[in-house]
Amino acid sequence: MTATAGRQSADDPRVTLDEQVGVFEPVPPYPPRTEREAEFYTLGDGEMFINMGPQHPSTHGVLRVVLKLDGEKVVDLDPVLGYLHRGVEKLCENADYHQTISQVDPLEYVSSLFNEWSPVMAYEKLLDVEVPRRAEYIRVLSGELNRIASHALFMGWMALDLGGLTPILWSFIERDEIVEMLAALTGQRMLFNYFRIGGVNGDLNHDFMSRLGDWMTRAAEQIDASLGLLNSNEIFVRRMRDLGTIDSQTALRMCMTGPNLRATGLPFDIRRAHPYSIYPELDFDIPTRNEGDCLARYLLRIDEIKQSLRIIDQCLHRMPDGPIIAKLPRLLRPRPGRAYAAVEGPRGQYSVYAISDGTDQPFRLRIHDPSFIHLQSVGLLMPGHLIADTMAVMASLDPIMGGVDK
Amino acid sequence: MDRLFRRRVEARFADRFTGPVRQRHDETEIRIGPADVPDVLRTLHDDPELRFTYLSDLAGVDTGVVMQVVYHLWSDVTPDWLRVIADGLPRDDPRVPSVTFLWKGAEWMEREAYDMFGITFEGNRDLRRIYMPPDYTSFPLRKDFYLADDAARSPGGGVRPMEQPHTPQEATVATALRRIRS
Amino acid sequence: MALDPETANLGTGAADATQMPSDQPGNRPGALVTREPSDVVAPIVVPNTLWQSSDPNAYNGGQPTDVTHLRELEASGAGRRDDARWSGMLEVIPTKADYVLDLIRANSLWPLLSGLACCAIEMMSAATSKNDMDRWGMFPFRASPRQADVLIVAGTLTTKMAGPLVRLWEQMPEPKWCVAMGDCTCSGGRYKRSYSTVEGIDRVMPVDVYVPGCPPRPEGLIYGMMKLQQIIKDRRGHWPDRAIGPTVPEGV
Repeated sequence: MTATAGRQSADDPRVTLDEQVGVFEPVPPYPPRTEREAEFYTLGDGEMFINMGPQHPSTHGVLRVVLKLDGEKVVDLDPVLGYLHRGVEKLCENADYHQTISQVDPLEYVSSLFNEWSPVMAYEKLLDVEVPRRAEYIRVLSGELNRIASHALFMGWMALDLGGLTPILWSFIERDEIVEMLAALTGQRMLFNYFRIGGVNGDLNHDFMSRLGDWMTRAAEQIDASLGLLNSNEIFVRRMRDLGTIDSQTALRMCMTGPNLRATGLPFDIRRAHPYSIYPELDFDIPTRNEGDCLARYLLRIDEIKQSLRIIDQCLHRMPDGPIIAKLPRLLRPRPGRAYAAVEGPRGQYSVYAISDGTDQPFRLRIHDPSFIHLQSVGLLMPGHLIADTMAVMASLDPIMGGVDK
Repeated sequence: MDRLFRRRVEARFADRFTGPVRQRHDETEIRIGPADVPDVLRTLHDDPELRFTYLSDLAGVDTGVVMQVVYHLWSDVTPDWLRVIADGLPRDDPRVPSVTFLWKGAEWMEREAYDMFGITFEGNRDLRRIYMPPDYTSFPLRKDFYLADDAARSPGGGVRPMEQPHTPQEATVATALRRIRS
Repeated sequence: MALDPETANLGTGAADATQMPSDQPGNRPGALVTREPSDVVAPIVVPNTLWQSSDPNAYNGGQPTDVTHLRELEASGAGRRDDARWSGMLEVIPTKADYVLDLIRANSLWPLLSGLACCAIEMMSAATSKNDMDRWGMFPFRASPRQADVLIVAGTLTTKMAGPLVRLWEQMPEPKWCVAMGDCTCSGGRYKRSYSTVEGIDRVMPVDVYVPGCPPRPEGLIYGMMKLQQIIKDRRGHWPDRAIGPTVPEGV
């Protein structure tokens, strides 16, 4: 990739900037290398390319989407990823097992605890460690709180991408309360670094419990109030109904998981299909909807918030006493082997495939992220809709670019 | 650990295995050669008694000696995860048939394996780089791709100041000599 | 156990007030001495014995750096003088009109939506109701760089994104400022060893305020923005003499 002659920076004339070819035009400057690229980058009659560049007002992060448009209708789209690729898997290969827990936090940064839960479960399988029951209950409790925070944020972003500026403020109030609670428990508002191999880092404390009790008395009404803002809003409902409809067979073919799959009618939830932790002992339903459109995905996540509240309630009532972490040596050397662990995150199945070679660093930590998979489906759902619907569809699939790009 | 399932899968695919069927915790692992991937996965997907319609993960692995592609599948007939390892790919030109004919969602996962390892998936209509810029020439997750501060441990690296060791434990005779000579 | 005056209120003994729950009225933990607002907070200086840069002129040559505390700045009265202060070539003679313009600019900084990763969530949290940046005029997060004043880079900068980000920076019209929010933008943070990240955005663009943290709390970002406001008022309109990346020593 040759750079053309540099030009002076407008800021500082001592600096010469070389042109980066091919970053800013929608069409790549090399001939297409794959069938799909050739098919996509060939313009039909009356079509044009628009680049929805890595920086745009949709707050999902840095995603670049090249839209092929026929007027206002989207004919096809090609997402370009990698603007947030930080090389986490490679860094994890060069870090200790304990260090990888904090390395995987920023992947799906809105729901950090699930990012940690999955590798921790995989390592516990490698080490044959049994987690104390109190630690499991605390994990489920904090995980469900994080799920509610993530879904609350989803509600706000969904409305923000459709143009509503109030619901995001309400969502952030919800999220701030939950996140301050988790900060009292874990010490951090966002990238918690709380789960440890064999348990959790710190026990429940007075600050956390008082905030949690206080919030639980108000939570249901607050959520209903937010819903009252959106669900009966005709613009919101009519924009989202019958948009981006997926049927269950297509969803399985696209390897979708989580609320996106359950909105198509399949009641598949890892907590029930392949139970882990103490979920077999808890009583909760798997909300499912049949329509498979954006509105169904939105309403399903609201239902999941309510189920999460049920789970939190049960956890609080049944919290056992005991240690919060299993006794493990500080230098961990699991015997060579492979382990796979999957958890049900708010976006779908978040799983980790860990290979150990007997040393104190994992040999390979493969992270499977649901947002990455779901973003593939956008190209399937969009043709025929308008540009403004692109944002609605992407928001309803709820991708987090940290997880997409790893 | 589903022993019944293990016997069923051994009976069904015994001629394709290149290694023993292993079970640990809640996972069952089978190893096949790369050429058998479409047949085995199609059978797993289509057979009404196996029903592995849910592809959970597609990963590339570089063991340093060979490359592997690892598929994780789930079905409602067994409580275990099924791990299919397509083993024995040569490190210089790893090629595996693609499974996008069964699961379209595997397309991006295969793109990622290509981007990170260089594994070519034959039949994937869109095998281009997904994370790294399109003109990037290396494959980052390979074991011979060293991070900058590991370059000091690699055979030819450790030239830049950032790659030089800073602590006495890291310094070896080779790097000390290189520093003296440069 | 005898209660010495030194060891009282340190959590020892029955008479210790800190044993009481923190929500009891009238309980002040005695071990933490809260300063009166009129004190100037002295910074805690930890001498650097862990690592030395190979370039003796890096990091200000070992000399102490400029004043970093807002309170010290206020106490020294440096922000209140309305005569000209500049540190480079005399290109413009600031006047009272410039002071007013600086006030205007400082109090209505419009950020550009440049949230890349996790810090973007904390930036949004700083902009929404609980920690409201609108109080200082920073509510409208402009989507277009042509309309924005300050680029708050929140999140890891990767090599692929560096081009678009620099282009965004260049598209912003002067006067513009840049805030590096989060560890990844200040120095590369936890991704310093990675093959695809830029170790700190000051390698590609001039930065005015660094807000460390992973992620920094919203109050931390607000502190950084207030520091930026102080810098704007302090500069007296003389902002173009920033260079890119002077903090990186030679050869690193």
